[in-house]
Amino acid sequence: MSQPTAPETLGSLSDETPVDPNSKQAKAIAGRSPMQIALGRLVRDKIAMVCAAVIVFFLVVAIFAPLICKLFGVSTDTVFASQYLDMLGGGMPLKGPPNNGFDPEHPFGIAPQSADDNLAYWVYGCRTSLTIAASATLFASVVGIAVGLLAGFLGGIVDKVLSFFIDLFLTIPFLLAALTIAPILNDRFSLNDNYALIQKFSLVAVLAIFGWMGMARLIRGEVLSLREREFVQAARVLGMPTSRVLIKELMPNLAAPIIISVSLMLPAFVAAEAGLAFLGIGVTSGASWGQTISKAVKYFEEYPLYLWEPLIGVVLLVLSLNLLGDAIRDALDPKTRR
Amino acid sequence: MFAYIVKRLISGFLVVVLVSMAVFALFWYGPSKPAQAICDRETSNRCGDRIEIYQENLGYNNPIYSEYGKFVKGIFAGREITFGATTYQCDAPCLGLSYNTKQPVTEELVSRLPATASVAVGGAFLYLLFGIPIGVAAARRRGTVTDKALVSSFLFLSSIPYYLFALLTWLYLTVLWEAPFVSDVGYFSPISDGPLKWFGGLFLAWVALGIFGCTQYTRYTRGAMVEALSEDYIRTAKAKGLPARTIVYKHGLRAALVPVVTIFGIDFGILLAGTIFTERIFEIQGIGWWSLQAVGNKDLPVVAATAMFSAVMLIVSNLIVDIVYSILDPRVRLS
Repeated sequence: MSQPTAPETLGSLSDETPVDPNSKQAKAIAGRSPMQIALGRLVRDKIAMVCAAVIVFFLVVAIFAPLICKLFGVSTDTVFASQYLDMLGGGMPLKGPPNNGFDPEHPFGIAPQSADDNLAYWVYGCRTSLTIAASATLFASVVGIAVGLLAGFLGGIVDKVLSFFIDLFLTIPFLLAALTIAPILNDRFSLNDNYALIQKFSLVAVLAIFGWMGMARLIRGEVLSLREREFVQAARVLGMPTSRVLIKELMPNLAAPIIISVSLMLPAFVAAEAGLAFLGIGVTSGASWGQTISKAVKYFEEYPLYLWEPLIGVVLLVLSLNLLGDAIRDALDPKTRR
Repeated sequence: MFAYIVKRLISGFLVVVLVSMAVFALFWYGPSKPAQAICDRETSNRCGDRIEIYQENLGYNNPIYSEYGKFVKGIFAGREITFGATTYQCDAPCLGLSYNTKQPVTEELVSRLPATASVAVGGAFLYLLFGIPIGVAAARRRGTVTDKALVSSFLFLSSIPYYLFALLTWLYLTVLWEAPFVSDVGYFSPISDGPLKWFGGLFLAWVALGIFGCTQYTRYTRGAMVEALSEDYIRTAKAKGLPARTIVYKHGLRAALVPVVTIFGIDFGILLAGTIFTERIFEIQGIGWWSLQAVGNKDLPVVAATAMFSAVMLIVSNLIVDIVYSILDPRVRLS
C-alpha cells in the first residue's frame, strides 16, 4: 500500500458510487439481487465481454450454418476430387491455398485428397462442436442437480450411496470410457444408416455420464448447508412436500453453483469433443474440427492453413468459454472485489 | 487409524471388482457377436457360419457369470483360450489374448509399461519442478504486477486444450524446425538404445506435459501458500526475526504442500493410466498408444484389458492418496 489513498472506509470497498452522506438530494434506494450485482460486475469486465462476443459469433455460425454455406456458395457434399486436385503432385488443391492465391469460390481453401470445402466443414464443425457440448452439458446438469439435491437433502443412506457413485465415477476419466466403448459402437452400428447420428448420441452420453460429478458435488455441499437454514425448515414445518421444498425453496438458491458448474463444463466438453475426434474415437463421420485437425497434421508443412483453421476455431472457442467462465465465477463470488 | 485404512482398502477392493465386472459386461453385451472380430481376422473376412464355432470356443454361449469366474481365475491361475481350432496357453496373470498377435495381453502390457512410466515420471517431475517454485514466487509477491502477470498468463495457457498445445509443440519443434536433440521423438529403451536417445525421444513430451500441467500446480501452490503465509505462526516467525527464506520454505511451504501432494498423487495415477494424447502426438508406443491402436484394429481383448488396467491404476492411486492424506492430516479421518 504505497499510494496515499483515502483511508479505507466501508464505502470504498463496495461497488456503489460513493454518495456524500450530507447531500440534500433524496436518494433512490433500489434493491439489487445478488444475481443483478454479479451481472453488473460482469458487464464491466472487459475481457468477459470480449469473450462473450466471441462466443456469440460462434453461436451465430453454428445456428446459421446452412445459411452461411449458401451465402458463400459452398457445401459439405463430396465432390469429384480429381477435378480440383493435383493428383500427381500429392493431392494438393489446384486452386486457392496453399500454392495459389485466394479463391473466391472456396474462401477457406479446399482440403487435399478429398477436395472438401474447408469453410463448409468449418462451419458445420462449429455446429457439431456446440451441439454436442451444449447437449452434454444439459444432460450432465440434469443428472448432477438431481443427484446433488437428493444426496444433500435426504442425507443418510441415500447420501452414502450417491456419494459412493460420485467417487466411483470420478476415478474413471471420460477419455478412457470413450476409448473403451468406441470399438463396441463401431462393431454394432458401423453398417447402420444413422451411424453418424448414433456416434453423436453416444458421445453426448459418454460426456454426460462422466461429466456430472463435479456439479453433483457442488450442489450437494450447498444443499447440506441450505438444508439447515430457517426458510427451509419453515417450509418443512408447514408441511410442504419434499419435491416442492426441493424445487421451490432450494433450487432458486442453487443458481450460482449451477452457473459455475455449467461454465466449467461447456469448455471442457468442447475440448473433449474435438480431442476425441482428433484421436479418431469421437465423431468420425460428419464434420468435426478435431477430425479435420487430425487429417491436416500430415499436410502441415505444405498446407499450414488447413490445420490452422479448425485449430483456431477450437482454441478460440474453448479459450473464450474458459475465460468467460472464470469471470462469471469471480463475479458471483462475493468475496472477490475488483 | 488402522480401522480407517482397512475401511478404505475394502472399499477400494470393492470398486476394483465393480469396475472389472462393468468392463467385462460391456464387452460381453456390447458387440452383437463378440467373437466376430477374431473370426473375421482368422478367416480373412469369410467368417460366415463359422462365427458359431468361435462364439462357442470363446465361451460366449455360456452364462456370463461363469465366464467372468473363468476370467478372474485366469488372472490368478492362468487359463487356456481357444481361437477356432487352435488353443493358446495364457499364463497368470491372464487378461486375455490379443486378437491381433495371439499373445497374452499381460505380456505386451508389461513390455509397454516402461514407455508410459517414463512419460509419467518425467512429466510429473516437471509438474512439481515448475509448479511449486513459481507458485511460491507468486504467493510471496501477492498483489504485485509480477503476481498478476503470472496468474493471468497461466490462466490463459491452461484455458487452451492440452492436446492442441502438445500438437503445436510437436509440429513446430520436430516437424517444421527439426530442432536438434528433440527431432527424433518416441520411446527408445534406455538400455539398448542408450539413455541419451531415450532422454531425447521423451524430452519434448515431458516439457509439453510439464509446462501445461504446472499451471494447475502453480495455482494450487499459490493459493495454499497465500493461506499459509497469513497464519499466526508465520507472524510469530517474522517477529522472532527469522530470515525470510526460513519463514517461506520451512514454515510456510511445509504447511502449504499437503494439499498439493494429494493432488499430485491423483495426477500421477492419471498419467500412469495412460497418457493417450501425449503418446499419440509424440509417437510414444506406451499403453495409451497401444489401446488407441487396438481400437482401430478392433482388438477387443486389448481394449478391455487396458481399460481395466487403467481403471485399477487410478483406483489404487486414489486409495494411496487417501491413506497418505489421512496420515498427513489427522482431521480427515474424523469426518
